Amino acid sequence: MAHQAHAYHMVDPSPWPLTGAVAALLMTSGLAIWFHFHSTTLMGLGMALLLLTMYQWWRDIIREGTFQGHHTPPVQKGLRYGMILFITSEVFFFLGFFWAFYHSSLAPTPELGGCWPPTGITPLDPFEVPLLNTAVLLASGVTVTWAHHSIMEGERKQAIQSLALTILLGFYFTFLQAMEYYEAPFTIADGVYGATFFVATGFHGLHVIIGSTFLAICLLRQIQYHFTSEHHFGFEAAAWYWHFVDVVWLFLYISIYWWGS
Amino acid sequence: MLVCSPPIKLKKKKKRSPLAPHRTVRTVSTHCGTMFRAVFRLSATGARSLARSRPCYSAPLASRCYSHGKVETDEEFDARWVTYFSKPDIDAWELRKGMNTLIGYDLVPEAKILDSALRACRRLNDLASAIRILEAVKDKAGPHKDIYPYLIQELKPTLSELGISTPEELGIDKL
Repeated sequence: MAHQAHAYHMVDPSPWPLTGAVAALLMTSGLAIWFHFHSTTLMGLGMALLLLTMYQWWRDIIREGTFQGHHTPPVQKGLRYGMILFITSEVFFFLGFFWAFYHSSLAPTPELGGCWPPTGITPLDPFEVPLLNTAVLLASGVTVTWAHHSIMEGERKQAIQSLALTILLGFYFTFLQAMEYYEAPFTIADGVYGATFFVATGFHGLHVIIGSTFLAICLLRQIQYHFTSEHHFGFEAAAWYWHFVDVVWLFLYISIYWWGS
Repeated sequence: MLVCSPPIKLKKKKKRSPLAPHRTVRTVSTHCGTMFRAVFRLSATGARSLARSRPCYSAPLASRCYSHGKVETDEEFDARWVTYFSKPDIDAWELRKGMNTLIGYDLVPEAKILDSALRACRRLNDLASAIRILEAVKDKAGPHKDIYPYLIQELKPTLSELGISTPEELGIDKL
């Protein structure tokens, strides 16, 4: 049958789910090999395979949507649901780390001196670099919204500029946070304070890097005329993810940096 | 409509030197077992207080200075905290949480509350926290140097019964 009698997308067979699964296997077993036998080869192989899988899988989605027209309204609706569900799962991921933080900080143990911050810990001043980081991410939320409106209004140059600015702000945040990590007077090994601080902010930083990368892909696609003023879901998904990253930071800032100091 | 009688001074939590005058504290104290109660007020930077929820073992009565609503009396406050620490199966987390919340208030807890907390420590086999409670109480009294010895005197029977030494007896009160 040459044409389908429905609006949905029956995806062509693809090897990428298999390569992704193999990559997951190689990375996890590679981790164990690294721990026990000090060799990173298997894990490195797994990571390389993961990067190749991601690149090719998402490249194929772009081909299917932008060039072959498979992303009809119902298909796009499904993609929207998918992104929302994914972000929701990420919310729960972070919820766990916030639970750990509040469990430890609302009822600090005698080993910590019964107080929070624990005895001997000098927390970072929330009104110095962390406040700047807050301003940077909030500003990036504004610029990404500006980019969205530019795309919807067909303003190509502004869309490129505002999206580039958003990415630069993301890099600035990452740079500032890296500096903070380097200069911090405490480490991840400094009791439950260090553990909750660096695990929560560390995973957040990883998500900033992921979000920045997603936005950078969108910038390349925008430059190459992939988006129309009516249809640019890839960008919307990146923007949603970016706002999520911003909101997580706000919770981190209020809870760990400010209240926790 | 009950209004908090003293002028409400919203103050930022902490970092006040123990030598700083307690401008915003109204303490009524004699040596004969009266209240060492400063007026409780809501911290201006609400983040810290808001994060400390009311002990959920009892009904949350407002002891904050709203312009309307029920105002908890000192006796109700004390009773609520005695009840909190008297829970037979209180767990270690709840004990520590209760103590941190209590110490966050702008007051020195009454002997009866501390007695209940010390007994909770006994049930939980937590001697370290019991002694820490005494240290915290001394710190809360700030420049009012007569409060701590008075409380130790009031708690002496309980301290003897439970076998809790004071920081002074252990020589850990000096840095």
